[in-house]
Amino acid sequence: MTSAGVRLDRGGQLARRQARRDRTLAFIGQHALAIALALAFLLPFWLILATAVMSDNQALTGDLWPTSWHWDNFVEVWRRAPMLTWLRNSLIYSVLATAFMLVSSIPAAYALARLQWRGRNLALLAVLTMMMLPPQVTIVPMYVVWADYNLTGTLWPLIIPNLFGDAFSIFLLRQFLLTIPQEYADAARVDGCGELQVMVRVILPMARPAIAAAAIFMFFLTWNDYYGPLLYTSENASNWTLAIGLASFRDLNHVQWNLTMAATLLVMLPVIVVFFLAQKAFVHGVTLTGVKG
Amino acid sequence: MKRLAVTSMAVLALLATSCTAGGESSEDAAPAPAAVKPAGAVTFWHFFVDREAAAIESVVKDFESKNPGVTVKVVAGQDDDKMRQAISAGKGPDVGLSYSTDIVGNFCQTGAWRNLAPYIGRDKVDLNALLPIVRSYTEYNGVRCAMPMLADTYGLYYNKKLLAEAGFTAPPKTLSELETMTQKITRRKADDIQVAGYVPLMDYYENTPAHLAPSWGARFLNDEGKSNISVDPAWKDMLSWQKQFIDALGYPALNKFNASKGEEFSAANDFHRDRVAMMIDGEYRLAFLQAQAPNVEFGTAPFPVPDDKQDRYGAGYVTGNIMGISRGAKNPEAAWALIKYLTLDTGALVKLANGLKNVPTTDAALKSPDLEVDANFQTFIDILQHPKSETSPSTPNGAVYQNTFQEWIGAWASGKVPDLTAGLQQIDKDINAALQLGTAP
Amino acid sequence: MTQTLTKRAAPAGRPAPARLARAKRRRHRLLVLGLMAPAIIGFTVFFIYPLFATVYFSFTRYDLITPPQFVGLRNYRFFFFEDPNSWQSVRNTLWFVVFMVPARVAFALLIAQMLTRIRRGGGLFRTVFYLPALTPPVAATIAFAFLFNPGTGVVNRFLAWLGVEGPLWLNDPQWSKPVLLALGVWGLGDILIIFLAALLDVPAEQYEAASIDGANAIQQFRYITLPTISPVLLFAGIIGVIQMLCYFTQAVVASSLASGQATVGGGQGMYLGYPDGSTLTYPLWMYQMGFKNFFLGYAAAMAVLLFVVAMAFTAFLLRRSEAFVHGAEGAR
Repeated sequence: MTSAGVRLDRGGQLARRQARRDRTLAFIGQHALAIALALAFLLPFWLILATAVMSDNQALTGDLWPTSWHWDNFVEVWRRAPMLTWLRNSLIYSVLATAFMLVSSIPAAYALARLQWRGRNLALLAVLTMMMLPPQVTIVPMYVVWADYNLTGTLWPLIIPNLFGDAFSIFLLRQFLLTIPQEYADAARVDGCGELQVMVRVILPMARPAIAAAAIFMFFLTWNDYYGPLLYTSENASNWTLAIGLASFRDLNHVQWNLTMAATLLVMLPVIVVFFLAQKAFVHGVTLTGVKG
Repeated sequence: MKRLAVTSMAVLALLATSCTAGGESSEDAAPAPAAVKPAGAVTFWHFFVDREAAAIESVVKDFESKNPGVTVKVVAGQDDDKMRQAISAGKGPDVGLSYSTDIVGNFCQTGAWRNLAPYIGRDKVDLNALLPIVRSYTEYNGVRCAMPMLADTYGLYYNKKLLAEAGFTAPPKTLSELETMTQKITRRKADDIQVAGYVPLMDYYENTPAHLAPSWGARFLNDEGKSNISVDPAWKDMLSWQKQFIDALGYPALNKFNASKGEEFSAANDFHRDRVAMMIDGEYRLAFLQAQAPNVEFGTAPFPVPDDKQDRYGAGYVTGNIMGISRGAKNPEAAWALIKYLTLDTGALVKLANGLKNVPTTDAALKSPDLEVDANFQTFIDILQHPKSETSPSTPNGAVYQNTFQEWIGAWASGKVPDLTAGLQQIDKDINAALQLGTAP
Repeated sequence: MTQTLTKRAAPAGRPAPARLARAKRRRHRLLVLGLMAPAIIGFTVFFIYPLFATVYFSFTRYDLITPPQFVGLRNYRFFFFEDPNSWQSVRNTLWFVVFMVPARVAFALLIAQMLTRIRRGGGLFRTVFYLPALTPPVAATIAFAFLFNPGTGVVNRFLAWLGVEGPLWLNDPQWSKPVLLALGVWGLGDILIIFLAALLDVPAEQYEAASIDGANAIQQFRYITLPTISPVLLFAGIIGVIQMLCYFTQAVVASSLASGQATVGGGQGMYLGYPDGSTLTYPLWMYQMGFKNFFLGYAAAMAVLLFVVAMAFTAFLLRRSEAFVHGAEGAR
């Protein structure tokens, strides 16, 4: 808008406002279904939010609107609970698990996708099979092993296995790597690159979106993981993660839902932030994971 | 490929040797011949949190001041599962506190908690200081591996206002009185119950077969440890009574009422909101009422008994917290000293009882002038001391028989079981099969 | 970097190209081994070992404290013939597999399709539909339980306003699983993102060509969209089935809450499967028997059976979808 010679164009402004309103109405009309669904999806979320600011007595009586707004619930959560400790532990767990997963799974995915070797199909079958094993199956024998190495009470039993590959991530990454055309690798080989160089300099950079996607999946999974930390760290409060801490706002029999929900929101905050920041790479990465064939 | 195979086998072998699947049956050292002054660090796991954990902490501090040289490391919020897992891995706490008696059978039989008899004998502990019923739920098959710390007893809570509005001044003593009063007090709007006199459904708060059994003298297991439900006529009486009561009130209406009951330990509990006039609950309800609903005018009494079993009036269901020393505990002497203190020292018990609002388990503590007792709390003390009060039998497999029975009763209450006798016999079969599953080959 | 000799670069006349080829093969094998080593170790230690241990335990009586004692097929016999809850748990889990997976996939597809048409505010909508998937499962289940509370919940109050008497939802054996299904559909964000991406990748020209040919929206969807994204659908289906075979947390929390004994997370076990065992899933029963009743040998047997079923399912699917497994490069 030029500053000089601007006249109040009343007619024009009105017309523009009218047009905007029309567009909004049209938008709503065309996307009525989407909006309705979105509202339905938001409803439970609203309940969590509303409960987080209710008083203890009103919490989860089924009321959707707080009679009194207790924003200090968030402060109370922070005061009462060692949120920073839990945050630190959650970060350690999620970041390390994700990093270790990448270190171990990317090479395996590469080998399964882009190299020829005897037994490759068998290995692929093994990877798929690992995904089929329910976690409850592995608990008892593994707990005893970790106890022998004196690692119970810490998060290491949850982090270390990722250093040895995660089946879901291997599979996801493999699918993407399959879609990268051979020409790139061939061209690099002609230029004199060895296999490792081809992998590191050529193929993996192209796989960045998929790597981001796998990393994000892993991060979210470990962030909300409750039973893992419960099993291994519940006796050592200094190692609790946020997920476990969430369950601690209670007396012996009485759960304080308002505080629990407030804490839940605080716990979700980093995850939402990560999602926003990574959204582009995420959607883009899933596009190219080649699971579409 | 061959190299892969070799690597895998090596790793497996390494694991196999390092893994000891809970098999350490190394004998725990016998206690020292004469009482040893406790010293060193002791780990103590319990399940309380928050305010109640603070009560435990203060008593533990008293113990530490009486026993300089002992430091107690307290870990709160640990339940039976955690303890069991830790013990299996050889890392159990020196002293563990459980909130129920479910594990006594298993822990005593397997040795997960040590046999306390040597310590008891050596220190000449007089077990008669403990009430007999409490002694019975801390041992299994003659092995005493646990000591009691505070008990829960169950009785009738009644809303004086709701009773008065229907013309009643005293709580019911027999089941027929209960039925009459319920019918009069219950208020409906159209088909729905607005205010219930009493809810006979077996999943309404603490209204469970185990809690009601003492009124009939019904026994879950016979002396051989087999399921007794189809044999003991008391069960049939109880279930028939329950069914006709449910039908008299109307199952659909009751079911709906039950589905929208308030959360048990929140301020929305039906009894706190004058939504139910009479219900069975433990003495801990007193603390909740005081904190969350101080305006409710209520009284407590023993639960009513069948008309033909008047001699049982005053009895009730008893259970409690138990403590033991883990297998492989590092400091059993100090652990034993702590247990003795928490279970037998009158001052400690009174302090705990006042703090947690549970019933203390020794004669001395019950008679102590420092114990905070009002008329309502006295009811529960009387129930604990009544000779006909009962507790649940222990099995090596926890509460499996109770759960099996509970599930079946849901079907019975809704009318899905046409033949009561046949149904009970099937239950016995199921329970016995489950108990059999846990026996040694 | 030293020049690696490839076949092309080997000058004619140099001695023993066969030796060079062998050296190359060995290097290649070393490379593969190096890349796969962590995963192989992981597979052995964290999969094979627990699997073998579980199979071993399944033939024993084991309560975690006493050493395992061999009992032969007793646990399996109990599962098939004597356990009053085993078949119900199988039926319940099967219900979730049969109904929840298609429901989630169908809804995710529908919503993804809708999202592709939204030009403005797409990011906002995406976030709204994905947010539930980020919610901790326990909190999400609790929110749903209270929305569907028969007396005070919003759903029944809304229905009453419409003049309809709402059922008892989580307290009614017929409705408890459908409520959990709604909860699962609410959390479809994770597969929604995948579908959205796949839909966006269908070449626009195909749609244009089809409309020129006179195909309407439904025909376009059926003959263009679906075939193109079918590998993604299959992927979501498989993952969904695996998830349903392990369905645990939400069932525990929902049944504990509905029975009035609310604890967060690993709730008290008395009313698992409430009401009437309708929410007693297979993993739930396995957990109850193994960790609450100390029948760990029996739980191991249940786990072995579950694994066998999952394996059979995998093998079946693999046979049916070569293209999916081997990707665009085809079966090599």
